[in-house]
Amino acid sequence: MAASVRHLLKPWTPSLCFARWSRYNPYYLDPDPSKDARVPDSELSPEQKELQELKTVRPIKAALSSDTSSPFNDPLISKFINMMMQDGNKILARGIMTQTLETIKRKQVEKYHRSPAAKRLEIECNPYTIFQKALENCKPIIGLASVQKGGKSYQVPVPLTDNRRRFLAMKWLITECRDNKHRRTHMYEKLSQELLAAFANEGNVVKRKHDLHKMAEANRAYAHYRWW
Amino acid sequence: SRRVSPELLPVRHICVSSSLWKKNLAAAGPQKFTQEFIDKQVEEFEIGKRHLANMMGEDPETFTQEDIDRSIAYLFPSGLFEKRARPVMKHPEEIFPKQTAIQWDAEGRPFHFLFYTGQQSYYSLLHDVYEKILAMERHQDKMRNKGLLTSETKQILLTGSRWLLKEEIEEYLVENISDHDYMRLIQLMEKLLSMPYCSLEEEFILKFRKQLEVQSSKHEIPALQYDPQGVTFSVADGRRKTAKASITLRDSGSGNITINGRNYLHYFPLLQDREQLMFPLHFVGMLGRFDVEGSVEGSGHSAQAGALRLAISRALLSFVSEGDVEKMRQAGLLTADPRIKERKKPGQEGARKKFTWKKR
Repeated sequence: MAASVRHLLKPWTPSLCFARWSRYNPYYLDPDPSKDARVPDSELSPEQKELQELKTVRPIKAALSSDTSSPFNDPLISKFINMMMQDGNKILARGIMTQTLETIKRKQVEKYHRSPAAKRLEIECNPYTIFQKALENCKPIIGLASVQKGGKSYQVPVPLTDNRRRFLAMKWLITECRDNKHRRTHMYEKLSQELLAAFANEGNVVKRKHDLHKMAEANRAYAHYRWW
Repeated sequence: SRRVSPELLPVRHICVSSSLWKKNLAAAGPQKFTQEFIDKQVEEFEIGKRHLANMMGEDPETFTQEDIDRSIAYLFPSGLFEKRARPVMKHPEEIFPKQTAIQWDAEGRPFHFLFYTGQQSYYSLLHDVYEKILAMERHQDKMRNKGLLTSETKQILLTGSRWLLKEEIEEYLVENISDHDYMRLIQLMEKLLSMPYCSLEEEFILKFRKQLEVQSSKHEIPALQYDPQGVTFSVADGRRKTAKASITLRDSGSGNITINGRNYLHYFPLLQDREQLMFPLHFVGMLGRFDVEGSVEGSGHSAQAGALRLAISRALLSFVSEGDVEKMRQAGLLTADPRIKERKKPGQEGARKKFTWKKR
């Protein structure tokens, strides 16, 4: 009945107070602001087809103010900007990100022009691909969780979800760039150095990821303490 | 012993208090209406409708319920705040609650074998559904014996519909059911759906599903208006977090954007805000086609940009095809953002921040 669906479309506060809620009723679905990313119908899996059909009947949330239909809009970069942001200063965070990408491009183009013709094909100049690849290289595969058993707490190796892995990679990058740098270097310089190092699988962030993996390997004996 | 005739025996009046004569209203249950009573009410309603139509000077044949409501509100104006206390004239079906007829015969024996469960229609429905499940299993076995068992059986289309709500099921069964009962019924229907040959009972299942309306039909498209010069334009409003914006989209061919009399480069020095203004136009592919003239007030720069974006998207609806309207809706351009500043709570520093926790 239209009357019973109408109450799902109004701004919402949950009756049971959760720790984290939003003004959207959970009935709303997430928007997809990209312009031409539609895969033709024949290549969709049955779940994706179901989701498409569900989208025609369900209300959709409003697009965020940081998302556009432009091809330069990358959700990964947006997430990274939000994580870098302090005290709501989005202007500064976005400025740092733009400067970082510019610095990366400049360095790579310089390297490209300085290198002999044979090696030029291997040099990646697109800062977006460098960022994505670098982040991939920083993502840990396995993590550690603290489990209390018999009065003692053990570090137990635990699988991580995709979101958690992405979050950890970004967090390590940001803390690394904030702490371990010379007083005079700017954030964007240090970030570009770290990203280029991570792209080549070197640098402190990748080292931190490897340390985590070694710790997990060392604590293999406690893996059965995990009950979830 | 003396034999006395019964007429001469003294009559003793036993005094009884009047409280025993009063009817026990609570034990009687809800007021029962007979079918004749309801029929009489329906007749009176129809005659009264015709009288009302004649009174209002309208045609009695085409007098709808909305006309009745309008006439009653005109003839009996009421200042009462409670809408349910105002004078009402509706069909008796909507006023008198639906009741089941007497469930037992003259000797007091109930007709239905599940009468003593207290919810005979609900349990008989459960029995019916289970019968169908068993019948389907038998059909499946028969097909397997013949060697005709295939996994590619016709599936019922279920997207775009939902199960009937508990209130709707109660209306259908004319009985009250609990949440647990409702869940049990839905689980049984899902089990019926999970069987391979469920398309045999498609009609039965669709009786319990309600079609959801397609969302894109709900958006109001602003009317296309014409300038004295012949240029088409449309006007729309948008709001975000106390910022109110109003946009005029002119189909003139240049791509100028003017906000509050100033160029959008001056009004929004930040790239993100200008991107938000361009977002709906870029999405539809009509960036350089329109002249955007907007006025906005209230809140901060980001909220103003959001309000303008919503207004531009709404104004664009009149220039864009049906398929594009649905695409814009799925991109999140046509929803008004309901997020506002969360209120500060008493006993806390702000909306979420608490005062310093002191152990003692």
